This record gives sequence, C-alpha cells and structure tokens, in this order.
Amino acid sequence: MSTHITVDPITRIEGHLRIDVEVDGGVVKKAWSSGQMFRGIERILEGRDPREAWVFTQRFCGVCTTVHAIASVRAVENALKLEIPKNAQYIRNLIIAAHAMHDHIVHFYQLSALDWVDVTSALKADPAKTAALAASISDWPGNSRQQFEQVKGRLAKFVEGGQLGIFTNGYWGHPAMKLSPEVNLLAVSHYLQALDYQRKVNQVVAILGSKTPNIQNLAVGGVANAINLDNQATLNMQKLYEVKSLLDSVQQFIEQVYFVDVCAIGAMYADWLKHGSGVTNYLSVPDLPLDSKGTQFDFPGGTIFNGDLAKITPITSFEDEYFRKNVSESIAHSWYDGEWQKHPWEEETVPKYTPYDANKKYSWIKSPRIDGKVMQVGPLAQVLVGFAQGHEPTKRWAAKTLETAGKVAGAQLTPAVLHSTLGRHAARMIRCAVISELAQKHWQLLAENIGKGDVAIFNEPVFPKGEQQGFGFHEAPRGTLSHWVVIEDGKIKNYQAVVPSTWNAGPRDAQDQAGPYEASLVGNPIADPERPLEVLRTVHSFDPCIACAIHTVDVEGNEIARVKAL
Amino acid sequence: MARTYVLGLGNVLMGDDGFGPSVVRAFLQRYVVGPDVEVIDLGTPGLDLTPWLTDAHHVVFVDTVKADLPAGTMKIYDKADLTRHAPFARIGPHDPGVKECVLTLEFAGRAPAHITIVGVVPSSCQMSLDLSPALAAAVSPAADAVARVLAEHGDDVRPRTSDAVGDVDAPWWQPVTPAGSLATSQL
Repeated sequence: MSTHITVDPITRIEGHLRIDVEVDGGVVKKAWSSGQMFRGIERILEGRDPREAWVFTQRFCGVCTTVHAIASVRAVENALKLEIPKNAQYIRNLIIAAHAMHDHIVHFYQLSALDWVDVTSALKADPAKTAALAASISDWPGNSRQQFEQVKGRLAKFVEGGQLGIFTNGYWGHPAMKLSPEVNLLAVSHYLQALDYQRKVNQVVAILGSKTPNIQNLAVGGVANAINLDNQATLNMQKLYEVKSLLDSVQQFIEQVYFVDVCAIGAMYADWLKHGSGVTNYLSVPDLPLDSKGTQFDFPGGTIFNGDLAKITPITSFEDEYFRKNVSESIAHSWYDGEWQKHPWEEETVPKYTPYDANKKYSWIKSPRIDGKVMQVGPLAQVLVGFAQGHEPTKRWAAKTLETAGKVAGAQLTPAVLHSTLGRHAARMIRCAVISELAQKHWQLLAENIGKGDVAIFNEPVFPKGEQQGFGFHEAPRGTLSHWVVIEDGKIKNYQAVVPSTWNAGPRDAQDQAGPYEASLVGNPIADPERPLEVLRTVHSFDPCIACAIHTVDVEGNEIARVKAL
Repeated sequence: MARTYVLGLGNVLMGDDGFGPSVVRAFLQRYVVGPDVEVIDLGTPGLDLTPWLTDAHHVVFVDTVKADLPAGTMKIYDKADLTRHAPFARIGPHDPGVKECVLTLEFAGRAPAHITIVGVVPSSCQMSLDLSPALAAAVSPAADAVARVLAEHGDDVRPRTSDAVGDVDAPWWQPVTPAGSLATSQL
C-alpha cells in the first residue's frame, strides 16, 4: 500500500514550491515538483529602454538580486555586440564572487544544516570533547572550549524557557538524525559564527555596488564606479583595501570552517552519497570573464550527459552558438496555453491555470531543456564541468574534499559519489572555496590594471534602428541563469529569463522526462511519512529559489508547513 | 554603524507589495534623520535581512501585513507581537522572513533591542507598478507613523524644509525613468 505525501508549505510568501511524493515500502517511488506562483514578471519590461532593464530585473527576486542585474546587462551588450572595459569586468566579477560566497554560506548554515544537525542533541555534548574534536580537524580560532560552553549554555536557557525560538518546528529527535552530540554542538556554534561572515561578505557587495541588496553601480556598457585612487567619493585605495581585508576574512572562514563542517557532517551521513542523484546531465556556463569581449574565463563551461566526465561539450564565449541554439522551454505540464517547446526568443507567456493534475498540467514553472534533454544546474554541475575540463582549483578542492571526508568516514571516496544529495552540498562548498580564491585573483587584476593607469569603466551603448536579439548568461550561485532579449528600435520587444531553479524544479516535459528535483527524490528512504525530513534534505540540496518576489509579514497567524500523508 | 534602521520591505513590481519602498521614499521626502538612523528600501530580502538587524538598537519595518481587516488599514506591531508565534518550516531562501531573522539573532544574543512594524493590509499583490487606491492613500500616514515611532524611541528625526528634497532618489519604477542612462550620465 503506497502513501502519498504532499509538502506544501504555507508561508507568508504567496507562491512557493510544492512537492508530492509517492512512497511504497519506505522508499520514494515517484515525485512531482510544482511551482505555485505565476512568474511572468518579464512582461513588465516590454516597451522599456533596454538600458534600464537591469534595474527592474534585479527586483525579480529579493535573494538573487545582483545575478539578474548582471545577466540583463550582458544580454543587452550581447545584442549590441558591445564590449566592456576590463575594469568593469573585474568589478562585476568581484560582486559576482562576493554574492556567491554569501549565498553559499547562508544556504549551508542557515537554510540546510538543520536538516542534518539536531539542535536539541547539542545539549548533551561535552564542550571539552567538542573542542578536542574541532582542534583535530581545523586550526580555526573560534573553536575554543569556552565558546562551546557558552553556546551550550545559551541553548539550555532557550530550552528551559520553554521556547525554542528559531528552532521550533525542526525535526528534532527524528530517526534520520545521526550526528553525535559533540558534532551537533560544533555545528550550532558555527551556525552562529556564520552570521558574521554573511555580513562581512555582504559588505563587499555594498562597497562595490554602492548599495545592497539592490546594487546601483551597473550600466549597459560597463559599471558606474568612477575610479580615482585619491578621491574620497570614488573607488579609491582605501575602499580597495577594505574589500581585500573582507575577502581575506571570509576566505579563512570558508577554508577553516565551512570546508571542515561539510566534510565532517557529510562523512557521518555517508549513506546519503547513494541517494538523490536523479538527472546526471549537467549544464554550467563559463563565468568570471578575463577580457573585454567575454572569450576567456576563469570558470569553464559546458555540458555533460549521463554522468560521463570523459565527454564534455564546451561552452566557450558570450557568443556561444551551441548554447544560443539549443536552449528551449517546454510547457507540456505547465499552466500556459498550449503544449509547445520553444526557443526563449520565440516564446510568448500566456498563463492558463487548470486544477493541479499530475498527469496533465501541475506547475507554473516551465521545463527548460538543452537539445531536448533535462539538465541539472547548480554547484554540482559547476564542479563536474570544471573537473571534466581539468580546471585546476576545482580539481584540487574536490580532491581535498573527497580525501578529508573519506578519512573521517573510513572509506575511499571517488568523484562518482558527488552524483548525490550530499554531493550537491559538497560541490557547493568546493565551488565556494574556489570562488574565494578567484575573488582574490580578480581583486589583484583590478588593482594592477588601475595601477597601470587604466581607469576606463564604460563604453557607451548605441541602439541601431531595427531588431536585435541578445542573450546574456551568468553562472549564478544556484546555477545557469540566462536572459534573452529582443530589441526593436531601441525598445524591448520581448524578454525572457530562464532561471536556475527553473532548470532544476521544472515539471515533466512532453516526453514525460522528469525534472531534476523529481528524479532526485526517487529512491530516497522515508522513515516517517508524517515528518518527511528526507524529502527536505534532497530538495534543499538544490538550494531552491522559487517563491520569488513578494513580501508580507504574518504577525497574527500561526502557520506551519502543511505536510499531508495520505 | 547606524543605531536605528528604517527598512522598507516589498517588491515594487508587484502592486501593493511595493508599499514599504514607497513609504521609504515618502518619508525621505518629508523628513531628515540624524547620522545614527539609516533609511533603506530593501526589496524582498529573506535571510539577507540579518546584516541590517544584527546588534541594532531599533529597527522599524515598513511592510504589508496579513490581517483580517480592510485593505489600507494600518497596524503597528512590536517585537513581542512579531515573535509570539513559532516560525515556519524552511523550504527556500525566501521562506525565512522577518520573524526568522529576528529569532535567529535572538538566539545569537544579537537581535535588535526594539522592533516596530508599521504595517498596512494590502489589497492586491499582482504584477503592477502602481499601488491600489487604498494603499496609495496610506503612504503619507505611514511615513508620519515612522517619524512618530522614531521620535518616541529617542531617534533624531525632523521635518524636512520644503525645498530640500533634491537628494532623494527618483522613484525609478514609476514613471519610466531611464535609470541606466542616469547611471551613465553621472560618469
């Protein structure tokens, strides 16, 4: 007899992710992913000046602000064949890197660690043993016995007060929670410390972007950060050094805390290296451009099919034909009028809602495809595409991760284990460590270029009469993001954003190929259908960002996620 | 670092959800604040809110609120109101909102000492650059309410003299302002 579980959280956000799974014999047999909000926000851009599109697109989503701004200016520049000065690339790259580090740290500690870490178990930990354990795996100065005692005391006070505060509604004491009390205490302590690094790396975006979360410094053609090393009001030596010291501090946290925590926690859940692989076709576009045109990059791009790392189809430039020609979106199971599969430039967005029906239409999300194939995007795709192309820092951090986690687990781990729920967490950390190194490199490139006397930041865009098509991609924290624009006589005629969570969370297509979330849930164990922690583990490992764009506080209500097991 | 933050929350592309940012703008046009007070339109930040709350003395949120009352009704809440009920389960990065950020910082011992929510019940949060009439009418009273709660908490806030609104950003989302070219003309 099978059980059908619906995880349909009612949050204050109107529109969110709904996951349905069919469980038989304690194992997920089938899964459906559904986006519950219409996201046709691109229509707001029709008829507007392409130079201002980025200001609007960065409001598409409150969490992924800068990434939509970057993809938008790149799309318009692509339509105009407009190159941008090197300084502008470096400044954008530093913002991209800082934003990515911010997202990854927040995702691991604030959003997903508590799927694996039992907070209440930390109350049973011995702080001295925790400190000894921590000292055996990391040099981090924030791992003293006193610090662990303090955190334990704080937690005890919370629990004694009869109030778990932020930790209410967690799956505490769940049979799938397996860490020792000491590791739980270690993780809770780092959860608190991570708040400081979230703030520090956010300051990098604020200094360069002049504001966060919505940056102000972009322009089609470059950036608006005037550079004068001796001027208080511009990007100067003092601001550059402030950025450098923040990058140093965050890099230390990533290498000595985030890296170690993922290896240690991951090793203790080694069985989750067998679950959650799902779709093993991967897509990642190149990013961190090194030249004004976008033909050389610090991150390689490409596609991998069926997990075969020996065969890679590279994506090599902002003009890449393979990417431009092969992206399409299917609406076979999405609430839009028709059954088509179309290229983004050809799409029209006509919503047509019908009741949820898993066999017909069941999601507002479309199903993007490359050459008709389902693709997984995100840090795992980024790491595997880098690995397959011999990207040195990616290979080095991946090897270090597998070795360290393998030592704790007492097993030999190969790159093949990365095709899994835990592999996605490991890959996110690997990507974060690599990007923190590359942020240092791009800071150096910027400082050296300015040192040579180059202060150019902007090339004026010129809009010819007639129609131009452009696409801009960006390898965002959650994966490949692309904006597609059609411009006519200097005005936007059509605009489509194909966002990372669409690639991953999309429903089945006309060929009935399941999307990455759906495929990755199949085979997951479910210990308790009333508390489907395992479903959350796999879905969270993608870092979903679905419920974009609306904010309402609910002070009066007392709502919790609705979990239905029938 | 500022002692007090006034944070407008919501999405200006989604109709009444743009209430918070609109009030921030109206407030800045009518009032000046001292160096200890920072007034920002934050959009829809989710957990990215925490940097603005950490160790702050007083935070004033301006946002739409869910309540069984007519659209345009203004409600003022404090920290106890906000944290009374349990937080929601997490799915995505947007799910943790104001309450979750405050509770996380509460556990860290670094939450704002005082919190005020100046909230208004929305009519329609559908894609649009305009507020509904009920909410458009509530913008001025809400800006005044922000000034009042700042004064009550001992924050430095004064009415602006009539001609000094030049340094307030233009509302880029309406009417059509070429924000891109604004940025470039400053070069």
